Amino acid sequence: MSTPAINPSLFGRSTKRHLYFVGVVAALAIGPFIVWPRLAERLLATDFLPHLYCYLSNPALVWTHVVADSLIAIAYFVISVTVAYVVYKARRDIPLPWMLLAFAVFILACGATHFVEVITVWVPVYIFSAAVKVVTAVVSVATAVVLPFTVPEVLTLVRRAKTSQEVTARLRASEERKEALLREVHHRVKNNLAVICSLFYLQSTHSKDKETGEIFRDMERRVHSMALVHETLYGSENLGRIDFAEYAHALAEDIVSSHGSPGVPVQLKTKLERVIMNVDLAVLCGLILNELISNALKHAFPDGVGGKIKVTLRSDPESICSLCVEDNGVGIPANLDVKTKSLGLRLVRTLIRQIGGSFELVRVDQGTSACLTFVVNQHGR
Amino acid sequence: MDADLISRKPCALIVEDETLIAEELRERLSRLGFSVIATVDSAEEGIAIATRNRPDLVLMDIRLKGEKDGVQAAQEIRQQVDVPIVYVTAYSDRHTVDRVKGSEHDGYILKPFHARELESTIDVAMQRHAIRAKRVKNIDPDRTS
Repeated sequence: MSTPAINPSLFGRSTKRHLYFVGVVAALAIGPFIVWPRLAERLLATDFLPHLYCYLSNPALVWTHVVADSLIAIAYFVISVTVAYVVYKARRDIPLPWMLLAFAVFILACGATHFVEVITVWVPVYIFSAAVKVVTAVVSVATAVVLPFTVPEVLTLVRRAKTSQEVTARLRASEERKEALLREVHHRVKNNLAVICSLFYLQSTHSKDKETGEIFRDMERRVHSMALVHETLYGSENLGRIDFAEYAHALAEDIVSSHGSPGVPVQLKTKLERVIMNVDLAVLCGLILNELISNALKHAFPDGVGGKIKVTLRSDPESICSLCVEDNGVGIPANLDVKTKSLGLRLVRTLIRQIGGSFELVRVDQGTSACLTFVVNQHGR
Repeated sequence: MDADLISRKPCALIVEDETLIAEELRERLSRLGFSVIATVDSAEEGIAIATRNRPDLVLMDIRLKGEKDGVQAAQEIRQQVDVPIVYVTAYSDRHTVDRVKGSEHDGYILKPFHARELESTIDVAMQRHAIRAKRVKNIDPDRTS
């Protein structure tokens, strides 16, 4: 019952009412002719002088009247048909449809009087002409009498339309303010994350040994991966959601370039399907992706020969996503304990618990494959 | 042009209101072989030093202390002297990018950045400037700047 438009009983009732109305009008129009069969004959009696005589057959005068009356009749007819069409098309939304229909009938009747004026120049059907005028008078007077009663409602409608315009404008302005504010927040978050990155960098330049320096570089990259989410958000239409493919691509390139040791060329290949998710999930997935790619860069190519890293993102109709990082390096040691003390893998395990996903790290024919499976539900979680 | 006759380190000016980021830039630039003549946090100071000292590179943030922002500062500097200007900013929204596109500059890096990005953007900026300077010299050999 949520869509009354296709409710058969309602539709039927409305059609029945229309038929009833048409029937009554037809009966009123045809009835008198049946009751009094000579009515038609009387109505179309021509035992008078046509107007032509009054105009003394002056062609200029005759044709001025004929052309002017014809044009008026045609214009009135077109106007009333247009109004009737508008009422029919917008019957569900239009206010006061019967008032507009009354206008249409009134205009049509006026057109008919002008049309009869054209006929009576040559054919003196003055009784018919009088009848048409009576009908026009009835319709005009009825419209004129009813119209004043609709004035308050029309004024209310005008006021309401203006109010709704103002409300729409206010809503739009507040929406724009909100968006500007959100962008500002993202900017500030990103700026603060940039400051943290600077701190880690500066600390890394002050560390005594290479290993400590590398720890700060790792931290810098982790924070950087979070900052990139906010940057990707700038370009997206919706400030709460993000296209993870776009983000993951930028992130992967970023990580590979940041590990930069020019002697070891690592080729990055990405094959990412579009997956829209909310910012929180994107941040977590970004952190995981950072660990997986960094791991591959650090451990897969120890002899400095370089290789390939492939990042793939797939999503099935049930919104189950799989994010994989594969490399063609030396492969993980056969005896690697997944509960290893490596912070990277520990972070991955912890983050996967948070997003409710599963993780698989296996040695493949050539290299290592790390795959993460998780669900992005309709709300982007 | 006396200074160019003897081999010297290229010098750079950093205009950045976030002091820690400015410090990182100073550190990274010195590793790239620049001597940083100053780090300032307002457009006005940046314009004054850039036009007086004519550094070989200006790194310019967009949001700065004071009335003017980085884009205005870059425009004023370029009206007076031709130095390579690279924007370093956290802003990447359409409005800022459009403003940056409309102003004269030689590069644009988003914060936070990676070492390689900074390095390659600076390289490109210096090369663009060198090509421009050469062209100006060819057109106007008497020009002494």
